[in-house]
Amino acid sequence: MNHTSTAERIIRGLLLTLVLLFFLFPIFWIFLMSFQTNEDILRIPPSLFFTPTLENYVALISGRLSTVAGDLDIAFMRNLWNSVLLSSLSVGVALILGVPAAYAFARFKFRLGENIAFTLLSFRFAPPLLVLLPLSLYFSELGLSDTYLGLVWVYQLIALPLILWIVRGYFEDISPDIENAYRIDGHSWAKTFRKIAIPLARPGIAAASLLAFIFCWNNFVFALVLASADKQPVTVGALAFVTASGIQYGQVAAAIVLSVTPTLLLALYAQRYLVEGLSLGAVKG
Amino acid sequence: MTSLELNAVSKSFKNDQVLSGLSLSATEGETVVVFGPSGTGKTVLLRLISGIYDPDDGDIRLDGSSVVGIAPEHRGIGMAFQNFALYPHMEAADNIASPLEARGGTAAQIMEKVREIATLLKIDHVLSHRPKELSNGQKQRTALARALVAGPKILLLDDPLRNVDAKLRFEMRLELPRLLRDFGSTTLYVTQDYKEAMALGDRIAVLLKGDFAQVATPQDIYNNPVNVEVAKLFGDPTINLIETRLTVADGRAQADLAGTTVELGTGYDHADGRDIVVGVRPEAISVSETPLEGALPVELIAVTPLNERVVMLLHLADGTEFFASSPEDGATGTRRHGPAFARIAPDAVLVFDRDSGQRIHPLDAGPQVSGQQTQ
Amino acid sequence: MYRRALPYMLSLPALLVCIGILIPFGTAVYYSTQRYNLSFPQARGFIGLENYIDFFSDSAFWNTIEISLLYTFLTVVLELLLGLGIALLLRTPGRFNNMVSILLLLPLMTAPAIAALMWKLMTNPNFGVLSYLISLIGFDDFRWASSPSSALFTVVLVDMWVYTPFIMILLLAGLRSLPRQPFEAAELDGVPRSFVFFRITLPMLMPYIITATLFRLLDSIQQFDIIYAMTQGGPGDKLMVFQVQSYLEFFQYTNVGRSAALLMVLWAITYFLSNLFVKHWLKLRERAHGNA
Repeated sequence: MNHTSTAERIIRGLLLTLVLLFFLFPIFWIFLMSFQTNEDILRIPPSLFFTPTLENYVALISGRLSTVAGDLDIAFMRNLWNSVLLSSLSVGVALILGVPAAYAFARFKFRLGENIAFTLLSFRFAPPLLVLLPLSLYFSELGLSDTYLGLVWVYQLIALPLILWIVRGYFEDISPDIENAYRIDGHSWAKTFRKIAIPLARPGIAAASLLAFIFCWNNFVFALVLASADKQPVTVGALAFVTASGIQYGQVAAAIVLSVTPTLLLALYAQRYLVEGLSLGAVKG
Repeated sequence: MTSLELNAVSKSFKNDQVLSGLSLSATEGETVVVFGPSGTGKTVLLRLISGIYDPDDGDIRLDGSSVVGIAPEHRGIGMAFQNFALYPHMEAADNIASPLEARGGTAAQIMEKVREIATLLKIDHVLSHRPKELSNGQKQRTALARALVAGPKILLLDDPLRNVDAKLRFEMRLELPRLLRDFGSTTLYVTQDYKEAMALGDRIAVLLKGDFAQVATPQDIYNNPVNVEVAKLFGDPTINLIETRLTVADGRAQADLAGTTVELGTGYDHADGRDIVVGVRPEAISVSETPLEGALPVELIAVTPLNERVVMLLHLADGTEFFASSPEDGATGTRRHGPAFARIAPDAVLVFDRDSGQRIHPLDAGPQVSGQQTQ
Repeated sequence: MYRRALPYMLSLPALLVCIGILIPFGTAVYYSTQRYNLSFPQARGFIGLENYIDFFSDSAFWNTIEISLLYTFLTVVLELLLGLGIALLLRTPGRFNNMVSILLLLPLMTAPAIAALMWKLMTNPNFGVLSYLISLIGFDDFRWASSPSSALFTVVLVDMWVYTPFIMILLLAGLRSLPRQPFEAAELDGVPRSFVFFRITLPMLMPYIITATLFRLLDSIQQFDIIYAMTQGGPGDKLMVFQVQSYLEFFQYTNVGRSAALLMVLWAITYFLSNLFVKHWLKLRERAHGNA
């Protein structure tokens, strides 16, 4: 396999260039657009050369958009904040609920545990609207319709299976004797969990948390169905923004850049865990 | 004073009965080696005592009070695991300090004790290393240090030399008895190496099929095994076993070994006519070229040195294989292959019932049943 | 005793969440057996399987089935081929290849709804860079997602952009974990490369291909974000896949019963697939983690 000819190397290089072009060009292009004025954007043919402007970002961050038709309020920063809040809270709750359960499922083979684990797994694959549409009908009756709490609860559908299955795999990889030894040394169960099990499963917990955060952030349909206007995350907010702002394409591009930057950075940071996380622990990276 | 007591302890997993009603008691400071082939429940036994498992039935008492249902952390036991079970995210020093931390004390006091035992076990230079930076020998010593450091009344060692190389095993076999004596803990030591068992145990408890077949001093187990199985587990090469029938004439028992009548001594009147298995340790057989009184005619097939002894493979007249061993320097020029004569020391013959495998003791004389016997 | 109670105590919160999911699910099943339109609350009542039976004579339903299956088939097959190709290109570990494989993850980590917006901007008829580029090769008035003839092509393209890296990264992990000996032996024996690929690489990679395929099948048949953000199911009913159709049925036509029944049909499909998945996945997981 090491005996590659020059022609082969050229073809390989060419193919890889095409691949990179297809997958990275859209991100690159939108990034450029976010620094262009509307006039630059509308220019035909499109050009790589223009005077960059921060105007789009300023408008988004200040929350006011001045157009010929008048001033327009933009709630985009609020959407960004909602995304941060919803994603972190959801991961936090999923960790509190999921890590002890993952430990229980890994250490004690019990019927109920398997049932819970597989119910959550199967709902990871069920159509989300099946749960969301009925919920939308009685969310208000439960007093959850205009709260973060309600959304965080529903987001467990995304975060909990991820935490549960990945972290469980890490707990299973810890030899029970290491915990037994610590108990015999004279430490309580709770301390053993804290000082032995959690630190040893830390890479798994970190990976699962990052991924859960990314997936919560990227989620669209949950908030589309259930979130009231002032609780919407960026995914829903950006779509609403496109409709509301009409032809303010520069701001749309800037909004897109702001929406995807956090997850892209996290993904780069967490990339060595992604394989395992994406396959719910079925494939080890 | 009795420090550890097991009363009719049973444990099964699913439908697999691992331990069936075994009992044992160990006095303070004593080292009892639990010996048996793999899969007989030795490790399960230690786990019952340490509280990792609970027994289905029976009682476990430490210093006179029952510990059944008491969590492991409240039993004050020290234990070293076969796979070491070191905490991979902690330095060796913190590994060793763990039992001390659980018991309280200032950081300085703890550190001093850790240093002390680390020096004793010659691992003081690697205290700041993580387990994965330690050699197997150092891991094993760290695990041992962790088990010993708090001076536990009961020390459980689960085949601690299993995963270390031969040289280290030899060293530790010499070092351990003194160490255990110095610490004064009552020790239960699990192994499946009979030499280790004989070297380390004040007593050996032979665990077979979920129960102790025999609990006795090493010498006693070797010289007076209660049954064929126990006899076979000790000695290298293993004991020679020949099926035959016991007859008594004039109060003297005899058995036919491949056409030659061998004297078994007196006191076997009650066993006249029974099918038996005769057991003879290889070192109880002397081989010579000249026919001695009562010697068996044999064919010397092969000679191999084993440690300081030589082992001879013999064939009896009917072709039965037989091993003899003698000290190297006692060799008399009989080492040529071919016909020879084997003489069995009469008081060294062990007689077992052929069907049950149980030892048949002569009734009148002899230092027979010693040690505790349960069955 | 503490040993008995502990696992149940630890998993109690997760159990409650589970129940919290199962209740709305049960409600959905119940709704699907009802005539239930939010605009005509007085007409509400139990009608058994009528919602389901109605589907047989409903061309919109068959359209949904057709579009969903077509969308799923196209995305999974194309992504599988492309993902496998890229994984093979990046197979040998090395600084450059690893960097490329990491960069290719970026689309996968982009929210699909946002990805749809990005492509919408790039395919805008007035200023979209892709519209411009395609006009250079003769497609002067290519309308991308807004034309019935190219809408499916466009959303499939976006789906490929987002999800091909998923298949690529799983297959790359698989390729790199394969034992070396068979390949070295084949090279020594001078076995032709196509033979090595079809008789050694592909069969050994099969567990990974199955994992990736099942994952994608399950996601693709339920695709909502990309299509809704891009066209809301249009133009016309050209992109009315399951979840978009039931979303609109619910919120636009307020027909709760019908929407629930449609989702139940989708659920039955995913249930079947996820059973396959769980079986396959348990096997893999056992291999990955051993029997600790």
